[in-house]
Amino acid sequence: MKERGMKREGLVKAAMAGAFLGLVLWGGLPLFRHRHHDIPIIKGPGVTTVLRLSDFSPRLKGTAGDTPIFVLQGKEPGGKALIMGNTHANEPEGMLAALVFIENAVVDKGTLYVIPFFNNSGSRNTRPGDGYPLYFDVPTDWGSQLFRYGNRDASPLDQWPDPDVYIHYPDRQLLSFIDVRNTNRTWPGRPEGPLMERVTFGAMELMRRDKIDVAVDIHGAETMFPVTNCIVAPEKSVKIAILASLTVKAMEGFENHVEPSPAGFRGLSHREIGDYSEAMPFLLEAPIPFLDQPTGPKTTKFLLDGKDPFLLSLSKKKKLFVPYDETGWPLEKRVGQHLSVTLEIFRQFSKKTMARPIVVRGVPRYADVVKNGVGHYLGDPAKAAAGTVVMN
Amino acid sequence: MIMIAYYVITAFILCLVGWNFVREKKKPDDLVLYLLVMIPLLLRLLRVK
Repeated sequence: MKERGMKREGLVKAAMAGAFLGLVLWGGLPLFRHRHHDIPIIKGPGVTTVLRLSDFSPRLKGTAGDTPIFVLQGKEPGGKALIMGNTHANEPEGMLAALVFIENAVVDKGTLYVIPFFNNSGSRNTRPGDGYPLYFDVPTDWGSQLFRYGNRDASPLDQWPDPDVYIHYPDRQLLSFIDVRNTNRTWPGRPEGPLMERVTFGAMELMRRDKIDVAVDIHGAETMFPVTNCIVAPEKSVKIAILASLTVKAMEGFENHVEPSPAGFRGLSHREIGDYSEAMPFLLEAPIPFLDQPTGPKTTKFLLDGKDPFLLSLSKKKKLFVPYDETGWPLEKRVGQHLSVTLEIFRQFSKKTMARPIVVRGVPRYADVVKNGVGHYLGDPAKAAAGTVVMN
Repeated sequence: MIMIAYYVITAFILCLVGWNFVREKKKPDDLVLYLLVMIPLLLRLLRVK
């Protein structure tokens, strides 16, 4: 009798454990697929080489921190610029602007380096607690292109455990524990540090070894956050940032003010790149309503069109830091702004440093992207020539 | 080093909770809770990526 009872108990426990395992698989498989979903990147006419970040930070090799670097070598020598997208992988404007550069840009003078997935681990992470969608579709002329929607921070699967407090290297400033996985707090990094410090160290090494002149880190920020719709620049870059800001306002009709990079807040690209290399850093922010907290559901539609009734109501009460109306803040405007501001920074740098010009053509500007959509500038990977598609 | 220590701690807690799951005879609610607690520990140890 006792033996039968024990057998029954064992069966019940096994059934319960099996049911839980089923739940884990049911919930985990979509996350597993998202993490392993690769995005096709078509090498455009200007791409001459594809490097890896591990070429500059060897301990990234074989990790989720490693990521491709697209090099667009110009016909004539000149200055060198680096563009980084997806430093925060939940701000896809940067990644899309980087892809538009890779697929369309032709460099006449100088060299362009583009890293579309700077925090590659973050782009394979998500934030289920905030109801983030795993993917989003960008409409194109040939259908639509599916992208992973990532998270601000790297995945704990790739860098774990988090400390109680992140002690920034080398300044020893105390930062939030989560910032140890935030590639915009781990600059300038170190070769043997946590994975995200190795990522930023790789970019620093690239900038130091290849003598990069201009580094553009492309982001998106909440409409309720004061540092939005702007160019963040330290002292060494501020003149060019102001000229770029004034020019896009006068010539293209959109606002993009300049914010000074605070010297006392460490770990950010717009501060550390300038302090630890010869490069002039610029951090671009475009408003992304999706990241604001008091909004409706976090749908892919909202991510793309930036329309939300709650933000509209807050805008009427003057609680937002950017103009906001029924048209929202669509992806086209955000990516278009980034492209125009980046091109304008290159132009202003070339005017100021005539010995090292960076001349890029083929990249659409704000009005083009607003009119045609971002997808218009993305090619069909199925029709791309053999050997021109890089999966990441 | 810290990472290895955390994995050892994770394995230790998983063993404790697993042993409680095996030993529990009376309360089905507790069985469910043990299983719930074991999920993240197990996933971390298996390093499912």
